[in-house]
Amino acid sequence: MTCNDLNTEFKVTQCRLNIFEGRMSSQGVREAAKSLVKALERFPNERIKHLVSFKQSQMERFNRVAGLQIGQSKDASDSKVSLDDIKDIINRTSAPLGLQKNLLKKMQSAMVNEDLTEQSIKEQISALNTLTTDKYKQYYDVSDKLYKPQGNPQYYKRILDEIEGKKKETFMTALRTVILGK
Amino acid sequence: MFPRGALQGGTFPTLRILPICSRAYLSQSNVFYNQLTRGDLAASPENIAKDSHLQSRPLDVSHYAPVKPAKKKVSESKYESTTYELPKWKEALGELVIRTFNLDMDKVRAGSVAGSYYYNMCKEQALQYENKELSDTAKFFYEDLKLPRTFSQWFQVTILHEWMLFVRMRAMPFKYGRNYQQKLVDRTFSDIEMRLFEEMNVNSGRIADQYLKDFNSQLRGAIFAYDEGFYTDDATLATAVWRNLFGGRKNIDFVHLEAVVRYIRSQLYVLSMLSDREFALGNFKFVPANESVSVLTKEQEKELKKKVIEKYEAMDKNKDLLPSDRSKLSYTN
Repeated sequence: MTCNDLNTEFKVTQCRLNIFEGRMSSQGVREAAKSLVKALERFPNERIKHLVSFKQSQMERFNRVAGLQIGQSKDASDSKVSLDDIKDIINRTSAPLGLQKNLLKKMQSAMVNEDLTEQSIKEQISALNTLTTDKYKQYYDVSDKLYKPQGNPQYYKRILDEIEGKKKETFMTALRTVILGK
Repeated sequence: MFPRGALQGGTFPTLRILPICSRAYLSQSNVFYNQLTRGDLAASPENIAKDSHLQSRPLDVSHYAPVKPAKKKVSESKYESTTYELPKWKEALGELVIRTFNLDMDKVRAGSVAGSYYYNMCKEQALQYENKELSDTAKFFYEDLKLPRTFSQWFQVTILHEWMLFVRMRAMPFKYGRNYQQKLVDRTFSDIEMRLFEEMNVNSGRIADQYLKDFNSQLRGAIFAYDEGFYTDDATLATAVWRNLFGGRKNIDFVHLEAVVRYIRSQLYVLSMLSDREFALGNFKFVPANESVSVLTKEQEKELKKKVIEKYEAMDKNKDLLPSDRSKLSYTN
């Protein structure tokens, strides 16, 4: 099957999915997912770029459930079908999609099938809020004993300065770290 | 927190920390930690994880790949067995050597405490074999958090626990803390190398080396990420956990992340309550995930410190103290 084939197939199934989704995910789930996306927006950005961003990937995941557009970057490549879209279609359709039945079965068994309910999404939101409000860091306060450890008081500060690009490290401080180990 | 008898009866100095069953730990012995309950903060990490209703099936393709036990028994040192006792003459010889050369026991002890006792503790958290029932701690990771049962996942759980110990070791005097960290890392890699050959049936040294290098960069990355998360906020710590422990899986359950963050922060809290002396002597054990840790009130904290100071003061004043029991590390912090 060529990419074009898949493309048209994608559009056809999108219509089908819209009907399908209406049946499957109730309004409640969608609303809950919307507030989850809002909670995710409040989640702090990562300080440095990693291979995958937690916030970004989770926004994509729940935007789909909430039935929201996935943002501007997605619009540019709207005409292209991403691997994620294909997986999503296969995941949620029982129709053969021009694939052999046993292959479809295999793919479905290997792919994640999320069963989101209103309750489970609400739990996700409260967990996320607990994390963003720093509840555990404040409750289990370890004081300066661990934040400014006796053996190496500047350890965490230096890491954070480096991450935030404060450029406080010079050749001499680097040399000192190599020789003394701190 | 050694029972006195065990101290006086003494086995060889560097090995005494080993009879694991014979000791009482902060987490077990100290009623304070389970006494206080305060709203939802009373829930243990395991309960938090279990309460989630998010169901996704199958979780990922590699979900079930337990380690096959080695054909012959994995080589373990007899000195690490709980039943082994050193002959008396060897013990006496050890004490004599320490006394005559005036060895720095804080330095000598690092090998047996960090390299053996603490490493074994980290290792056993998530050890799993095919056709063998999971241990209680491993159940939290593989069943409650639904992590894949693989060798590399075991490694991730192990380094998470090692990192928590590193955080405490940094707060020791630099010379000793560094030594403890070194011993722990050394032991980790020698153990993994042995496991690659004996359990994972890697036959080529070159391939084993590649794996070891890979594990090394995983360790560095994880420690950096956890350090950042520990120092900044819970959200950053959660993303670090997501990237490392959960392998950045897309269908993550946030409730699980919350449970792990709570687990980590509570362990670090217990670690921060220990003095250098207690920690260096190996008087620490991870609080199991099904127990919740409550913070101490100011009075309880004072009382705890007082008890510790009394105990070690008496120990230091004792003229008959074996040379191998000496330590210069602080018990007041």
